[in-house]
Amino acid sequence: MGLPDSSQDLSSEMEVDAFRKIFPLRFFERHLSESLRPDGRPLGKARDTIVNLGLVSSADGSALAKIGYTTMLAAIRMEVMTPSTDSPDEGCIAVEFHMPPICSPTVRPGRPADAAPVISKRLLDTISSCNMIDLKELCLVSGKAAWMGYLDIYCLDADGALFDAALLSAVAAFSNLQIPVVALNDNGRIVAITGEEKQDNASITEKEAVNKERRKLTLKNIPFSLTCILHKNYILADPTAEEESIMDTLVTVVLDSSDQIVSFNKSGGNALAHTSAIKSCVELAKKRGNELKQILGEMDVD
Amino acid sequence: MASKPGAATSTYSPKIVARTRPPIFKDSDLDWTRPDGRGFHQCRPALLQTGAVSSASGSAYAEFGNTKVIVSVFGPRESKKAMVYSDVGRLNCNVSYTTFASPSAGQGTDHKEYSSMLHKALEGVIMTETFPKTTVDVFALVLESGGSDLPVVISCASLALVDAGIMMYDLITAVSVSCIGKSLMIDPVTEEEGCEDGSFTMTCMPSRYEITQLTITGEWTTPNINEAMQLCLDACSKLGEIMRDCLKQAASASDE
Repeated sequence: MGLPDSSQDLSSEMEVDAFRKIFPLRFFERHLSESLRPDGRPLGKARDTIVNLGLVSSADGSALAKIGYTTMLAAIRMEVMTPSTDSPDEGCIAVEFHMPPICSPTVRPGRPADAAPVISKRLLDTISSCNMIDLKELCLVSGKAAWMGYLDIYCLDADGALFDAALLSAVAAFSNLQIPVVALNDNGRIVAITGEEKQDNASITEKEAVNKERRKLTLKNIPFSLTCILHKNYILADPTAEEESIMDTLVTVVLDSSDQIVSFNKSGGNALAHTSAIKSCVELAKKRGNELKQILGEMDVD
Repeated sequence: MASKPGAATSTYSPKIVARTRPPIFKDSDLDWTRPDGRGFHQCRPALLQTGAVSSASGSAYAEFGNTKVIVSVFGPRESKKAMVYSDVGRLNCNVSYTTFASPSAGQGTDHKEYSSMLHKALEGVIMTETFPKTTVDVFALVLESGGSDLPVVISCASLALVDAGIMMYDLITAVSVSCIGKSLMIDPVTEEEGCEDGSFTMTCMPSRYEITQLTITGEWTTPNINEAMQLCLDACSKLGEIMRDCLKQAASASDE
């Protein structure tokens, strides 16, 4: 981008695709000045979003979330563990975000992507700090047994706004989660009850079911997030991978169901976030939160 | 993941071959039913779809029963390792599993053995001289493992390669057969693979009628091998037709 003047001269003669490759920033700024983005979206609009539930049959809860081309597959497996002595009546949740080499040309096998552990940590922080899940609900026998939820999120296609899509898939997977039936056997150990045994009522009473029927978790407070790009005076909601690679100031706002801010993250970048810019990001996130609530709400009806 | 243009569900079960010798025990096959209620020579329905990953040069999604696989192809692109000049292109394969791929669970890991077998199955069919000095990366992720994983990965990889526009002599299709007792079962599921006496995996080019990879493990009798070979060849060519239909549909959808 060292030759802004020559690019101006060339722009009338060059092909659009070549111009986009050689002067990406100028290409985008030209669009932004018209309040439009190359994919035809207005600046503040997020891409089409789809959520599907229960796609992984080997997991206790799963969901696929698609924002534009960005695709996330989340699955939860429940295991019984001994709770720690600090919190004997609480279960635990582990979150891992994976970027397999299939999702992006920049990820190679054997070298995990730098972004993956960062997003893992931010997801765990968000999920635990907004009190979405009451960990006491995961308790089976106080001090003896509790549920450990392993949430694994796989990025199948990386096209920007990875955190937003990952959080959406995680929330949807938790809403799909069915906690398996388990019982306490004579030796005081927890055993799983499969479908056949369940019909045999005698065996259940004998074994003293701890968790009598498959149940769902109550999600108290659902977080929704929106990532925006700050570039000069413009705010671009829900960026694509191309936009993220050109303009590097990203702001992620996470709001809960009652529009309270759960987390706000601006990690470096060239642009400074002014108070007004932050306010508009939060406004956009509120609007997006309502959209996502609707999308998740539609699924519950089905 | 379903109902996109280019999606197709169809089966590719081979025609039942007449046995050369009458069975000694009548209905000897019927002492065993398959977990999913299929016939012994019946394949699972195959759902195939190209263009599953937008950021890849080419990609495909395959769903055979509970076996769900995504394959992305990147390149031809610059070879990463500083390697010596080469007139022909390089092929790099990787197969990995998600942590929730199988119910028994564990760490989602790279599957080195499958990676090398995928490489061996594909290298004969790709015209590597068309992309000298560069590398084509074929990465597979098994989302859910429901049996016959490697054949599904191989067939899906060949669709992804076509989607990426890599020059090939023919499509590649793969089918496996399990031998349990006296019976041969095509396209085995995980439970069947767990108790098999022998396994037979064939990778072939359906139009050229040539085999690129043939793996036979366990106990086999010669007549059983012959029968398994016939079953696999027939199923492979039928699977080839399904893959061709899937590509035609994807092409006509993109024309519109």
